[in-house]
Amino acid sequence: MTISRRQFNKGVAFTAGATLAGPIGSAFAARNELNILCWEGYNTDEVLSPFRKLNPGATVRAESGTSDPDMINKLRAGETNVWDLINVNQPWAQGQLYPEGLIKPLNKDRFMPYFDQMLPEFKAPYPLALAGNGDLIGMPQRYGPFSFVVNTDKISRATAEDQGWKLFLDPKMKGRYGILTYDNWNVMHMALTGDQNPFEPMDAAGLETFKKTADAIFGGAKMLTDDLVAMNLALINGEIDAYFTGGTYTASPARLDGASNVRAITPNSGPVGGKGGVVWVELTSLVNNPNPSTIAEDFLEYVQKPEICKAVAFAEGTYNPVSQMANPKVMSLFDSDELDAIQMDSLAEEMERSLDYQIVPSYDELIKIYSEAKRS
Amino acid sequence: MDRLNKRIAYLSAAPILILLLVFFVAPLLVIGIYSIMPQKSFSLLAMPDFSSYSLIFVEGYLKSLFWSLVLAFSSTVILFLLCWPLAYAMAKIFNRFTLIITIAVVVSLFVSENIRLFGWLLTLMKGGLIEGLLRHYTGNGFEGALYNVPIIIFGLVYVYFPFMLFPLMQGIAMIAEDTRQAAFDLGATRWQVLREIELPLAAPGIVVGTLLSFVLAAGALAESKLLGGQTVIVLADDIETAFTYGQNWPLGSALSMLLIMIIATIAVFGISRVDIDTIMGRKRS
Repeated sequence: MTISRRQFNKGVAFTAGATLAGPIGSAFAARNELNILCWEGYNTDEVLSPFRKLNPGATVRAESGTSDPDMINKLRAGETNVWDLINVNQPWAQGQLYPEGLIKPLNKDRFMPYFDQMLPEFKAPYPLALAGNGDLIGMPQRYGPFSFVVNTDKISRATAEDQGWKLFLDPKMKGRYGILTYDNWNVMHMALTGDQNPFEPMDAAGLETFKKTADAIFGGAKMLTDDLVAMNLALINGEIDAYFTGGTYTASPARLDGASNVRAITPNSGPVGGKGGVVWVELTSLVNNPNPSTIAEDFLEYVQKPEICKAVAFAEGTYNPVSQMANPKVMSLFDSDELDAIQMDSLAEEMERSLDYQIVPSYDELIKIYSEAKRS
Repeated sequence: MDRLNKRIAYLSAAPILILLLVFFVAPLLVIGIYSIMPQKSFSLLAMPDFSSYSLIFVEGYLKSLFWSLVLAFSSTVILFLLCWPLAYAMAKIFNRFTLIITIAVVVSLFVSENIRLFGWLLTLMKGGLIEGLLRHYTGNGFEGALYNVPIIIFGLVYVYFPFMLFPLMQGIAMIAEDTRQAAFDLGATRWQVLREIELPLAAPGIVVGTLLSFVLAAGALAESKLLGGQTVIVLADDIETAFTYGQNWPLGSALSMLLIMIIATIAVFGISRVDIDTIMGRKRS
């Protein structure tokens, strides 16, 4: 068969036209698909496969991010038309995503009843899931106290809890600890170490105090890394005896592997109403996609099922408690080793001693001071 | 006829030029425009204020730049000294063995950089492969070898080894044996042959290898994070922080532009000193 030049040109024109029409055409098509941008866990087969079976015609995809800001950057870069659900830590949803119109409110009639089956800390009206105007901006599921981690063979749990953040200013600790550089967490924790409230604006004197604390903590650190596996290895092998910024999220993989001397610590006391620990809570929110998925809210409802709660809690990588553990059907799915890995024995009291992870009003100034101290 | 040839040449180059414009120049342009936007702006249409560039000087980012360049420079010099004898042997002495070394070096590239560095982390850490075995058999251990500047340089040398070795080998292969022999016959010493014959003739390979290693090392991040425990903060780290936890895209863009401009200047200077066409086997007439 021979193709004439005219036929060839026609073919090229058709292909080009179809390519151009593709993206425009899809903007008007119904979207029986779901794209989830999430922390690791929601993207596993254990979570996604049953949902795919429930929605046979739908395309369900999930991508895990490596940090909250990385995921938020995707939405900021215009990917609101790609993603349907985003799963990030508070306070990003309340502080940035919702005010900037990147996420939209959930149907309260459909989702508020689920709060009744959650642990007491999450009972409605759970303030971190609500916007200032009362809109429900996301559903909480995984959470965990997040302060610091010690090797209890070297520093006892009681000593660490009593000393709290001051442990890292103790001259005896110089060169014996690492800093897990989750920068936004480090900022909060350094403020608490300096007896400051990170959730209130700081004046010039406050910033000076913060600088002194940041300099002291970076000055005494043996190592810095943002890799929790590398940090746990250093702790287990005796390179360091503690690390600044960590919690059940970072300690649980080592604990489940048998290193029960790796323990997340929540200080007994602290500068904000007597509390010194901080707790993170993930919210899964509906992205303000101009062409919304028909099954995004269905997925949010689906992850409330006991077996899916368990799959989300114990996905690969890190292990975390879930707010639905008040439900005996959820709780019965965890064995004793798993409960020990997430430090269930002290979880409730640690939550009691922890502040909610909120917006840090002086974050811009503090991250500058923090980054300078890190470089010096 | 010449005009027609020129026109055909431009036409044939057009697709790749368009591709380069879209996929290479456009992102650079976006970074360039972001770098002059006001702090924390997420729009390209705000009134430019160049504040990010002044922040670089006020907030100590030059220190990170200094470390990036020092680490890149040190690792490049070490790489050159390490690779020259091996590249020489591969180009001039080894026969089939050259292929074995080439395969061995290339195979290492099949494994991701982070995983290879993590392997070194497990080897060098306290209680790791070396210290752990030593302590087990002798009862005496030592503090781990990690979390210092030399180990970052070691990481850079290890990761960028192939990027120096192969261009250098290519450069050395261009040294004609007759020229060397003639120099020796005329009474030149070994040192004179190296300095006046071998190095100038292998210069294109040296420049390509040096540039590749330097440019990659200057933008490297994993070595200082994994092996160095961020003992020093490199500029790539600051760029990542600005784009992520800082949520300050203009600052991240300005820091990127700074690194791009410095590296581009060094690259243009380096390339202008040699005739790169010779290494591509296409000597200009």
